[in-house]
Amino acid sequence: MLDIQDIVTAYGKIEALKGVSLAAAEGRITCLLGPNGAGKTTLMYSIAGVLKPRRGTIKLAGADITGQSPASIVARGLALVPENRLVFPQMSVAENLEAGAYQRRDSAEVAADIERMYARFPRLKERHTQLAGTLSGGEQQMLAVARALMSRPRILLMDEPSLGLAPLIVEEIFRIVGELNKDGVTIFLVEQNVHMALKVAHHFYLMEQGRVTFSGEPGKLAEDEVIQRAYLGTSRKTG
Amino acid sequence: MTAVDLAQNTLDGLMVGASYALLAVGFTLIFGVMRRLNLAYGPTIMAGVYLGTAAFISLGAPTLVVLVVVIIGAALVGLYVERLCFRPFGEGARAASMVASFALWMQLEEAATHLLPQHMNPFPPLLATQPLEIGPLLLRADHLVMLAATLLIAGAVTYLLARTKLGLAIRAVIDQPRAAAIVGIHVERVMMLTFVLASAIGGVAGFLIAATDGQVTHMIGMWATTKGLVAMMLGGLGSVKGAIAGGLLLGILEAHAQWFLGPQVRDMVAWGLLFVLLAFWPGGLMGAKALDRTMAVGRRV
Ligand SMILES: Nc1ncnc2c1ncn2[C@@H]1O[C@H](COP(=O)(O)OP(=O)(O)O)[C@@H](O)[C@H]1O
Ligand SMILES: [Mg+2]
Repeated sequence: MLDIQDIVTAYGKIEALKGVSLAAAEGRITCLLGPNGAGKTTLMYSIAGVLKPRRGTIKLAGADITGQSPASIVARGLALVPENRLVFPQMSVAENLEAGAYQRRDSAEVAADIERMYARFPRLKERHTQLAGTLSGGEQQMLAVARALMSRPRILLMDEPSLGLAPLIVEEIFRIVGELNKDGVTIFLVEQNVHMALKVAHHFYLMEQGRVTFSGEPGKLAEDEVIQRAYLGTSRKTG
Repeated sequence: MTAVDLAQNTLDGLMVGASYALLAVGFTLIFGVMRRLNLAYGPTIMAGVYLGTAAFISLGAPTLVVLVVVIIGAALVGLYVERLCFRPFGEGARAASMVASFALWMQLEEAATHLLPQHMNPFPPLLATQPLEIGPLLLRADHLVMLAATLLIAGAVTYLLARTKLGLAIRAVIDQPRAAAIVGIHVERVMMLTFVLASAIGGVAGFLIAATDGQVTHMIGMWATTKGLVAMMLGGLGSVKGAIAGGLLLGILEAHAQWFLGPQVRDMVAWGLLFVLLAFWPGGLMGAKALDRTMAVGRRV
């Protein structure tokens, strides 16, 4: 579904991604793990078209989307749940969901989808007139997921959806990830919570200092080893 | 001083304040999507008004045509300002945009004096009827038109923001530009449209002001920037309702200041208020809570 070849993305002169290649298979949950500053968020934004890669190609369902605008990438069926959620704080829950459907023209279907989101996330229904900025962290995360789903994506990118949330809510988020995947949505997930990530993932990658340093199925690497490398990186372990 | 004087001042202030309110609505829309001050906002309006008055002087264009020329002129000059001062720089380079818009201010003043070398130029008056008498109070008909136009435009802008898809996009860009891009909103296009719309609204304000004065100098540019800026700050950055309240309040304060303290003091009120606001009350009338919340959210992430 998503095929990334040799992506280089830089902030000024500093290359945050130094030639990253990876893939997210259709219908699967693929996880990307790695310490802070490894370049995971940079990769997510590069895929979504928010950052422009210097080199490399990104293919979505066979079509080259490298360097395209975020709007056309959304229209091709990719949605991102960004790091730190980035809900629209001064807009109501309902308006956040409408904004998620911005690329769509079928307003009757959009209204029906909003109802589906309320069925899936009852807390959002209770608070649908409330400003998103007044929601709790967990509710904002649910809203960010629902907003992304409003574009009816074939593939959903999620950047650390469990960041800063209480354990019960983290469980809930991962349950939703599993459900969405069962409904046929391909998932590409960045996580710090290695234990939960390895439980849901079909395939995972480790990323350190702008490079992919491991690719395999959960179980191919002992969990302590993954944790060690995902939080601290290989370099610090040996050095 | 009598109750009638107080009422008359308040009424006069309200009418003049309507023009400030319009200026502030345009200013606040631009500030909202760009998060940067557009110092060339007033000069953009001046350029539109000058094009209108040039059409009036040289072609004898009727008032309605002049209005159209002013609006289209201001919108096009606004587009020019956006292209040169805002589009090339990101939000990170606020100083670059401010300095560039200052440079365009100078350029537009220069162009205006080439177009119409006279300092003072005639402008077609709006309604040259006798003032209406309401009991002991006097009310100019053209001021009433100004107030009505302000309320109409404010209503239209509020409807646009609250009820339309473009409005949703504008608010999303104001609220969280990165997320707006992520959900597939064409952020640059929305910024450009907002900029042009705000400049056109400024053009309407400029037309009404020049028409009620019956004349115009290039000072209207500087004047529009300061009055619009103070009214916007008074109402709170980035709020249309606040901009209107701020404009009306500024008009009323000025009218009373003029009455009690003399005409020299009138314009100092705006400058004094700007200083007090910046120093003690940066949130303004309605922006405070909103701004705090945005910042709180920003800090949390
Ligand atoms: N806006 C930015 N400007 C400059 N450098 C950045 C910016 N965002 C991230 N970086 C740098 O890029 C590297 C990768 O960051 P990021 O992609 O956020 O990593 P991760 O999501 O894995 O924690 C880090 O070294 C970080 O400091
Ligand atoms: Mg990150």
